[in-house]
Amino acid sequence: MDAPKPRQSSGSSPAARRPLRFLLLLPLACGVLGALWIARAEAGRGHFSSAPSANSPVTRQVNSSSGVFSPAHPSVGEALDDFFDTYPTPVQPIAFNHSIHLAKGMKCTACHSGVTRGPDAGIPSITFCMACHQVIATTNPQIKKLAAYAAKGQDVPWQRVYWFYPSAHVRFWHAPHIRAGVDCSVCHGDMSRETVAVRQKGLTMQFCLSCHRAKGVSVDCTTCHY
Amino acid sequence: MAHRWGMVIDLDRCTGCEACVVACHAENNIATVGEKQAAMGRAIHWIRVERHWEGEFPNVRVRFQPIPCQQCDDAPCEPVCPTYASYQNAQGLNAQIYNRCIGTRYCANACPYTGRYFNWFNPSWDKPLQLQLNPDVSIRESGVMEKCTFCFQRILAAEANAQAEKRQLRDGEFSPACVQSCPSEAMVFGDLDDPQSEVSRLSRSDRGVKLLGEVGTFPKVTYLTRES
Amino acid sequence: MKRRTFLIFSAASAAGALVDVTHKKGLPGKEMIRFIPETKLVPGVAVHRPGICTQCPAGCGLDVRVMEGHAEVVRNGQAGLLRMGLAKKLEGNPEHPVNLGKLCARGQAGLQVTYNPDRIGHPLKRVGPRGSGEYIEISWEAAIGELTDRLRPLASQVDSSGLVFLTQPLRGQRQVLIERFLSVFAGSAHVPFEFFDDAVLREANGLSFGHYQLPTYDLANSRYVVSLGADFLGTWNSPVAQSLAYGTMRQGRSGVRGRFVQVETRMTQTGANADEWLSANPGSEGNLALGLAHVLINEHLRSAESAASAGDLIEGWKDGLPQYSSEAVAWKTGVPPATIRRLARDLSAHQPAVVIVGGSPLAQTNGLFTALAVNALNALLGSANQPGGLQFSPYAAGFAAPAEPRKGVLSPNELAQQILTGRPSPVQALLVYGANPAFATPPGWQVKESLEKVPFIASFSNFVDETTEMADLLLPDHSYLESWLDHVPESGTNEVVIGVAPPAMEPLHNTRATPDVLIETAHRLGGRAAQALPWKNYEEMLRSTVLPLRHFPGSVAAGSDDDFWKKVQQQGGWWGTTTGQTSKSASRPASFSPVKEQQPEFDGSAKDFPFHFLPFASQQFYDGRNANLPWLQEMPDVLTTAMWGSWVEINLQTAQELQIEQGDLVEVASAHGVLQAPAVPSPGIAPDVIAMPVGQGHAQYGRYATGRGANPISILGPQRETNTGALAWASTRVRIRRVGKNGELCLFSTGPITWGEKQLKR
Repeated sequence: MDAPKPRQSSGSSPAARRPLRFLLLLPLACGVLGALWIARAEAGRGHFSSAPSANSPVTRQVNSSSGVFSPAHPSVGEALDDFFDTYPTPVQPIAFNHSIHLAKGMKCTACHSGVTRGPDAGIPSITFCMACHQVIATTNPQIKKLAAYAAKGQDVPWQRVYWFYPSAHVRFWHAPHIRAGVDCSVCHGDMSRETVAVRQKGLTMQFCLSCHRAKGVSVDCTTCHY
Repeated sequence: MAHRWGMVIDLDRCTGCEACVVACHAENNIATVGEKQAAMGRAIHWIRVERHWEGEFPNVRVRFQPIPCQQCDDAPCEPVCPTYASYQNAQGLNAQIYNRCIGTRYCANACPYTGRYFNWFNPSWDKPLQLQLNPDVSIRESGVMEKCTFCFQRILAAEANAQAEKRQLRDGEFSPACVQSCPSEAMVFGDLDDPQSEVSRLSRSDRGVKLLGEVGTFPKVTYLTRES
Repeated sequence: MKRRTFLIFSAASAAGALVDVTHKKGLPGKEMIRFIPETKLVPGVAVHRPGICTQCPAGCGLDVRVMEGHAEVVRNGQAGLLRMGLAKKLEGNPEHPVNLGKLCARGQAGLQVTYNPDRIGHPLKRVGPRGSGEYIEISWEAAIGELTDRLRPLASQVDSSGLVFLTQPLRGQRQVLIERFLSVFAGSAHVPFEFFDDAVLREANGLSFGHYQLPTYDLANSRYVVSLGADFLGTWNSPVAQSLAYGTMRQGRSGVRGRFVQVETRMTQTGANADEWLSANPGSEGNLALGLAHVLINEHLRSAESAASAGDLIEGWKDGLPQYSSEAVAWKTGVPPATIRRLARDLSAHQPAVVIVGGSPLAQTNGLFTALAVNALNALLGSANQPGGLQFSPYAAGFAAPAEPRKGVLSPNELAQQILTGRPSPVQALLVYGANPAFATPPGWQVKESLEKVPFIASFSNFVDETTEMADLLLPDHSYLESWLDHVPESGTNEVVIGVAPPAMEPLHNTRATPDVLIETAHRLGGRAAQALPWKNYEEMLRSTVLPLRHFPGSVAAGSDDDFWKKVQQQGGWWGTTTGQTSKSASRPASFSPVKEQQPEFDGSAKDFPFHFLPFASQQFYDGRNANLPWLQEMPDVLTTAMWGSWVEINLQTAQELQIEQGDLVEVASAHGVLQAPAVPSPGIAPDVIAMPVGQGHAQYGRYATGRGANPISILGPQRETNTGALAWASTRVRIRRVGKNGELCLFSTGPITWGEKQLKR
């Protein structure tokens, strides 16, 4: 009943593992790629046998939506990333500088306000950013980008930094952790020394469990996986 | 505080309306599989309503019986799992850990209530139907088993709420989706370890029986028989 | 180590490394744009908003669980992602007096109306021939402009504008709005239509009790219930309210368990719960009711006078109904005389008792006779307007009160004849809102053909169905979770209930609320039209109608109008005991003489068509409006476990004689049409009855419903109830033959159908 043993400790970066991988066999890799490809094709296929859309122009033209949503990986690349538990570094549209904001005395919860109340910390909309940046640092090239989004009536397409692949089936709730006095930096590192957020900690199951064990809280599987 | 969650289903109240069936689909992100797969027996219903015909026309009778996972104390699905994906959690629920599941389907074979369902392929939703999905519940992928969880996400949310408000959970404070929707109030959910709870009181009723009681699974679902 | 990884982990690593370098998340240009969200929701934390269910006419209150999510939307012609509040689950509103927090399967599935992939997302104008489905997308500005241009010449007509508004029956301010809108057009008509309409019972209740509305059955206090054909736990009247009361009747009272007998030709979900199930010949239920009354009177269990005016409507009542002796009735109904006497004595002994009638018995040519007979029996039992019996919900004046018998209301049949013949005046324009008569009327009514003759049709439907397919202009409504809603339940409660709810979520598509479209159209027409609809929008109209309620005792106490309006919205409506005017007697037409015994007439001869054909309201789709919801398609029918299709129910014995086995493809033919579907032999159906669920067999209704199963309405005869003119949908005769082996029956349970209760052990 013990937790599966993770491949490596939580701190090291994904790159550290790479040299090992080249030792491995190519043919089997091809097999995996093939299997994933088939799985993906399978998922994309609609399974409603008598779907009439092919001979009915109405359904084609009237529908405003198309496509299928499925937990299948959208690409082979993501499937492999999931497989190896690696998380690609997101490319942010604006190089948001955490350290500057924190140095000005802002609290994490000023922007990530959901953290005390719900599962997700959340990111505020551009309206929140522009409340200050109408007047502050308007000549900064990054702020100009921000203002450009606002002028177009768009929100900033921020990319998630911390997430779990769907196949991990993790349902993480921030609020109980904050209530228990776990500091943000325990999982997210010291953001006052970071500019653009990157995934500093591996957040593997081992990482979660070590803390849960140390604090004597539940390590039952269904605490997180359901 | 530990709980032992259980359910009572009053067959004298149940009307077979299947509100519980759809409520469960909506709450737990259960995908529809379509006609072709459904005809092959691959439709997934964590709770289903069995009907038992008795007699011949015109003296016919039907008895309805909703069957969710019975959450057995001594569950046949658990020891057969080679990866411990199927296990009993601290609150006595027969849980299924999708990450561990490798899809042997031994558990489905072992369950005398056929309460376990296999994902033969990745579920899919025609957009924008995916917007109905409940973010509190995992979406299961192809190759894993799934089953009734007694709406575990609701149990955890209620516990978290109570904890935040520094109080104990109250009886009837929350219920699984099936119990909540049941129009004739045939289902009752609660803590079996609390002798005062409605579910404890009803499960001690003279009408209380267990499904396939002789198998020795010790279910935490008690049925109250029909009185006619 | 993760699952599946054991053997191949090492090998796949190499490929993983290669992909790692090239795979980046969030590369510019590959992402959808994001719109600025307006939501104030905390991500992942649910809020609950009130709503009103519109899946059937009962009008249950909803509690909509809303959470933040990302939706792909189109705004100003641009596609992008919007973070918005999304309805995630529908529950019953715990405070709503009708459903008290409960909700049925069809109500639960309502989420899939809003998120349906086949919703019409923007206004469309037809460019190809009618029914071709060739449309172009137009703006709302242009769409309302087109509607206004089409209606303007009609508004100036002096005698007859030729405008017809075809809707589902509406119970609230939408009804008032449409009537006011039409008041501008001389000689215009509002045609409310739905297949399972209870016009016959309303008419009978008006005559017997002075209430032109459906009754509320106080089952929670009943000790004996006899139901004649009414599927009151599944689809009929107010099923959730009735199920709640039924649960209490069975096990909610200490030491008292109500007994329940169902009489019908095919076992419904409701009948399956009965303590005793009886089968009576189709159309003979009125005889049975009077047979019971005969026993009660002649055994001096009740005096004939106690039925008061309800009894006077039956010929021979005062004389003790001599022609309805148990033996005579037994011969007509097929129910043994001893059973009739026993039922009557039980009804008398277990008070309070109530007799319910609804569904197929009233869908015969003698439906009104049957309903009046049952009303007289209830009156004789002392069950009318009594606890444990039947009651009539009080209604609120000014809120689309329970209709009085509305003389001159057209049925789609008469409408079709008017269109086809041009008499009394040609129909120039047809507006369609929430009704689908092209699907739900028998072929003999010629609705589909007539639609082709109308010069202009505009539809406000969410979906392209068989009727909307004929429209020239599509002006899609919001889904009901995106709309301002109001609904006055006709039954299911003893309080005055006015359900009101603001939109639970922002609209997903470029749709517009139909009431708002009508108001804007009226404003563009100007003059009298603008005066008839003086409000800025529907919200303002609702507010102005609801505010006067503040002065009556009810569920909302508030110090000011604004406060009152806010609290009404939070609660999902207003309920109280009175709004000053609670009840109004319908005057009985002077010419209405006591009814004689009336035999049912059937379409088709018994020789050519030996079986009665019984279309029944499906547990999943009601009258077919829910057939496009995949949750309901995959919900097994509770008695047959059939999914994703139609089936034909036939008596087990009869099937054996005809060598029809489960799953065989059979052909059912009436004098009006032929259909094919798989057979399900069942023990719970009379040997001379063939039954089929209504709802499938859509020629056009989105990807989940189109071309699936068969539509039993398509083979119905056109005959109507003789007094009220309602469609007698249970009076067609058919023949059946086996076509072949594979009917493609899709069942959830393939096991034996008698997996008995012996499995239940202590």
